[in-house]
Amino acid sequence: MLPNATGVHSMNEMSRNLHVVGADLPRTDAVPKTTGSATYTVDVSFPGMLHAKVLRSPHAHARVVSIDASAARGMPGVHAVLTRDDLDGLSPVYGYFIKDQPIVAIDKVRYIGDVVAAVAAQSEQQAVAALETINVEYELLPAVATVEQAMEDAAPELFEDEPMGIVPDYGMGASGYRRIGRNNCYRFSYKTGDASVAFASCDHVFEDRFVFSRDQHFHLEPFVSVARYEGDTIEVWTSCQNPFPLRKELARVFQHPENLIRVQVPFIGAGYGAKNNCKTEPIAILLAKLSRRPVRFCMTTEENFLTQSQHAAILDVKSGVMADGTFVARSGLILLDSGAYSDASPLVAEKAGYRLPGPYKWEHLDIDCDCILTNTTPAGPYRGFGGTQASWASESQVDIIARALGRDPMDLRLQNLKDLGETYVPGESGLDSDMRVGLNLVADRIGYKKRKRVYGCGMGLSVGFKDAGGVNKPAQARIRVTTNGGIYLQCGTIEIGQGAQTALSQIVAETLNAPLDRVSYPALNTDYTPFDQGTNASSAVVVMAQAVQNAAIEAKNKVLSFAADQLECSVDDIELKDWTIRKGNEAHPLPVMIMRYYGGTGYEFTGEGFCKAEMDHSAPLETKCVSWEFGWGAAEVEVDTETGLIVLRQLVVSGDAGRAINPKICRGQDEGSAVMALTGALFPCMVYDGANLMNGNGLDYRLPLASDLNDGFVSILQEQGHGPGPYGAKSVGEGCMLPVASAIANAVEDAIGVRIRELPLTPERVLAAIDAAT
Amino acid sequence: MMSADLFNVTFRLNGSETSFHVRPEEMLIDVLRERAGLTGTKLSCDLGACGACTVLVDGKPSASCVTFAWQVVDRDIRTIEGLSSGDGDLDPVQAAFIEHSSFQCGYCTPGMIMLARALLDENPNPNRDEVRQWMSANICRCTGYEMIIEAVQDAAERNRSSLYE
Repeated sequence: MLPNATGVHSMNEMSRNLHVVGADLPRTDAVPKTTGSATYTVDVSFPGMLHAKVLRSPHAHARVVSIDASAARGMPGVHAVLTRDDLDGLSPVYGYFIKDQPIVAIDKVRYIGDVVAAVAAQSEQQAVAALETINVEYELLPAVATVEQAMEDAAPELFEDEPMGIVPDYGMGASGYRRIGRNNCYRFSYKTGDASVAFASCDHVFEDRFVFSRDQHFHLEPFVSVARYEGDTIEVWTSCQNPFPLRKELARVFQHPENLIRVQVPFIGAGYGAKNNCKTEPIAILLAKLSRRPVRFCMTTEENFLTQSQHAAILDVKSGVMADGTFVARSGLILLDSGAYSDASPLVAEKAGYRLPGPYKWEHLDIDCDCILTNTTPAGPYRGFGGTQASWASESQVDIIARALGRDPMDLRLQNLKDLGETYVPGESGLDSDMRVGLNLVADRIGYKKRKRVYGCGMGLSVGFKDAGGVNKPAQARIRVTTNGGIYLQCGTIEIGQGAQTALSQIVAETLNAPLDRVSYPALNTDYTPFDQGTNASSAVVVMAQAVQNAAIEAKNKVLSFAADQLECSVDDIELKDWTIRKGNEAHPLPVMIMRYYGGTGYEFTGEGFCKAEMDHSAPLETKCVSWEFGWGAAEVEVDTETGLIVLRQLVVSGDAGRAINPKICRGQDEGSAVMALTGALFPCMVYDGANLMNGNGLDYRLPLASDLNDGFVSILQEQGHGPGPYGAKSVGEGCMLPVASAIANAVEDAIGVRIRELPLTPERVLAAIDAAT
Repeated sequence: MMSADLFNVTFRLNGSETSFHVRPEEMLIDVLRERAGLTGTKLSCDLGACGACTVLVDGKPSASCVTFAWQVVDRDIRTIEGLSSGDGDLDPVQAAFIEHSSFQCGYCTPGMIMLARALLDENPNPNRDEVRQWMSANICRCTGYEMIIEAVQDAAERNRSSLYE
């Protein structure tokens, strides 16, 4: 079996008999979500609640000379107006590593849609009417709409002065920098070996530029929150996937004690990364403070487009290989279009840069990833988190290399992929899936090796890759079991659609030997729920699940210890099943034992659990990555060379759940992420005319529909058993985002001999590539 | 009495006759969510494009975000809340969505279920491609659609077997 030092777990850990884990039980949120009774933040309402709307900048870049909001204050139904004049006593600028985004514009506006003022009124219509009376005088500044423009020597700067911020500590080979170039808000670098020297000894060096498209999350529930500010207590109900970091940020912004800020999270109508950190909350809270009324701030779909997007990217990748196909060295420069504020860009840069090598046996790496500010919608976390951009470039170039060497792209991958358990880079953890197994699986399923070679038809493969579990992420969980065996699982993982509530509850039910319907999952309230860093980074099943399992084990041990005392026997002589203690042939119901000892009013057993990867300065990101997430993809396309249209005949994707806690939920993650990736691969994505977004609404923005797929779309769930989560589980939330675009582009080259390096793969681009090749 | 800019609309809502005084510009979804308290119907794109707000108007799927309240006078409106029977039995479409795990965040789900119900009322025996085309009226950003299609096919099956029971 594999050594533990690599962090790779062996198969025998999953061989026990399980009764709840691994079963396709209905999701625990099934009834509320299929009957309309599920409460989302949009459904939260209070007596006297006001509605907020915001005035947004019509200019991409301008100095705010003056704001006259006096007329708005007198408009019907208006209870509060918020401009930069109402920020006294606040630290009104937020962000992740870099605090640069103001609640409302202070000195400048930096993109079309930047928030300038806000109004709370009795209805949204009244708030909109009041906003129309606000006079803002702008002094227009030249704008930079693209990364190239923003990097020019004489380009106007979004920030003339350096905003407050930090560069985190990194370990071996990694480093971070701020403001090292025009409009450059962050650089992440990773180096190992000596790539520049190694290139000289390579037989072939390949240099390619790839361009990645900019999707918008299009979560169907908009950004929304409801705030109350009564006495000294700030209370906010919000559609937010990281409520504890949000609480911390709100405490800083409002200069307010954390214990007097209560964040509550009902069901979330999806986020895909967008619902991290401040969105609607500071404005709702401040308006609640000013109006002394509950305030609801719910954005429109159009406003979602003006609030958060994915990172467009330009990726220059240089790879040195030997004549026999051995991968030796790779360098790269990635430029991320960060939009107008730093947001999560430094973290995305970290991951895009770190993941650019892909899971291959390079010995020398030298990668920089820069975040470039532009006068466009701020880019932030988006499912795949830099891995999507990196996989697009990396997996496209692997095919380019294969074809240049006269090798089959699949064979070249099999030759160079790292092995199960092999460390990713020096100081890192071992890769916890066998990538060859996954690649063979999707290739066999699509019929890759037996494909007929007909011009216009082709197949392509890809191995999408990212780390999973976040960096240095602590998670805590608590289990409470009532006198009668009702179980409460309290933890900070948000049910955002991914099925974590069900999966984590299954782990608890398994551990406590109880039916799944005994486990409740109270909605998150930062006053009661144990701390968690956030529902992101595919961390629930590899980090939080360990904390949850630990908590359940502790609770179970307390129960067994109590029962053994009561029965005057050893804990080894008894078992817990359905809240009854079994001792040989005897059955002792626990409620009777508990009330006999603790009194008729009963008792609750509790268990606490914790999980965090150890700090490790030899690991490039300061902790070893908890796990690694893969998405294997195979695409078959038919390309119409007259119209440039790509018809996707088959799309086979596969993720490795390690051990699937709930196989249907895992399948939904694989298929949902693959279809989400189709947007960036084949559809127009966000179209800008200069700094003006042209299609930022539900009608003009083209999303994949059921009819865009056919029965050739298949997912295969693997359970290789090597994950760090309970029972060998691994994450599946993001993996199948990663291989789709490159698998399709690789299939297009297989079909018509033309390489397209720019996403999306629109008919125009296909035709242009055909023209360029002839 | 009502003020000059309000008028009375009467329609059947989940089987019961009901009336509201509405403003001329008031949308059906606002009446459902804010007046009738039926928050299962969800607003998303507000342009009639995504289908999250789908309800049945005389059995036809309709985007309640672009339907004026006055347009449903004397019509029969069904929302997700009216789909299960009075004694709580789920509609076969709801049961199939649960069994096939055909939802994730759940925000599009009420609209998807109403859309599927309308299909099966019109065509109790749709083939897979007919289901795929019909269900393309609504957007789901989470599931990738295949598990929704499977649920609708299964619901059709359940419908048919219940007819012959």
